[in-house]
Amino acid sequence: MNTSTATAAGNGGTTTPLRGKRILVAKPGLDGHDIGAKVVALALRNAGAEVIYTGLRKSPQQIARVAVDEGVDAVGLSILSGSHRELVRQVVECLRAEDAADIAVFVGGTVPQEDHADLAALGVRGIYTSDQPLAEVIAALAAALG
Amino acid sequence: MNDTLTRRELGRRLSRLADASVAEVLALAPAAPSTVPRIGLTGAPGVGKSSLAGRLGLLRAQARRVGMLAVDPSSPVSGGAILGDRIRLDELAGAENLYLRSIASRSSSDGLAENLPELLETLAAAGFDELVLETVGVGQAEHAVRSQVDTLALVLMPGSGDTVQAMKAGMMELADLYVINKCELPGAQQLAAEIQRVQALVGSHGGWAAPVVLTSIHDADTITDLSAAIDAHQAWLVDSGNREAVLEQRARYRLRLLLERRLGEVLGTVSPQALDGSLAEQFASVAAALPLDDGTP
Repeated sequence: MNTSTATAAGNGGTTTPLRGKRILVAKPGLDGHDIGAKVVALALRNAGAEVIYTGLRKSPQQIARVAVDEGVDAVGLSILSGSHRELVRQVVECLRAEDAADIAVFVGGTVPQEDHADLAALGVRGIYTSDQPLAEVIAALAAALG
Repeated sequence: MNDTLTRRELGRRLSRLADASVAEVLALAPAAPSTVPRIGLTGAPGVGKSSLAGRLGLLRAQARRVGMLAVDPSSPVSGGAILGDRIRLDELAGAENLYLRSIASRSSSDGLAENLPELLETLAAAGFDELVLETVGVGQAEHAVRSQVDTLALVLMPGSGDTVQAMKAGMMELADLYVINKCELPGAQQLAAEIQRVQALVGSHGGWAAPVVLTSIHDADTITDLSAAIDAHQAWLVDSGNREAVLEQRARYRLRLLLERRLGEVLGTVSPQALDGSLAEQFASVAAALPLDDGTP
């Protein structure tokens, strides 16, 4: 049913590895800007994903509720404030409370290397920082989401 | 929401339906078509539909459970989409009586969204008392929206020149309500007068004279006015006996979309040899080979 758009893309298989995936890009906490989140949202869209963006300053409860209502495959949390451990833990807990522990959680932003293990222990499937090329992030997401 | 489907299950089912083949749709479809009232908001990008729909949804959700679907366009290149309505509908996040779902138009033939009738039916079956459908106006999509809702509101704004566009697209004959949003902007009254003049020429459809409602999200009274105008139209539909025809049209359109999609699935499997010969020959050979089953392997 997607033959016309696949043809227009020239190569639906390799240029749009996230086709058919629904991804919520969310900004928890008190970060004041969201350029990074928007750039990532656009890159995900260009890779074929349907991206829902929450806007700034959302609570973990709001994020989990939107993720559930929108039936997403993954949530990408953009966090620059340094409070990633607490915020990620809360989002993961809220997802679990909504019977949505199977929704994959990814984190992007400023996360020091020494915190990566802690986030992974919370169930985070991938952590991406601003020095990583977008293509690499897309490839990693596509691999993780199958 | 009803007892049998949690919010999580509904979210998942809608995701699954959006990707579903015809056979899957038939397997997943609720037993009977729904009759819960449906409201449509359509209009050009930038007229403030999402914010308006949010306010309207919040107001109406005070008295009932409201399910909202917002359709945004997919990129024709990547097939991806940014579904941005969540940004403008912040305050909806905590409203228990309101369920908002963003949908990408994908490659649907009518410019709306793949399986949209099925998504709406599934929402209705999940126990909502009313459905609200918000779509970007792109001409042909409105005709499809028309069949999916009972009350169709065309959202315009002052100074955008979209009455001419709306007339071109045939919208002036389709809308049950004209909404002039951002009515605090200069030119709102002139636009209202212009619409009323055009409408006098077009005439009422089926005995309903579409009113013009001025709205601003900064003025709660105007949202109440819009809500009352919607109620008036829905009451008229029932009292005049026109609702039966609306439901019948909806059922036909739903079936037609499924048949078209099945046809698309089948055409995708036709061999290149079937495309040799004259058009009449191609038509005859493909038509002769068409199975009218649902495609279950």
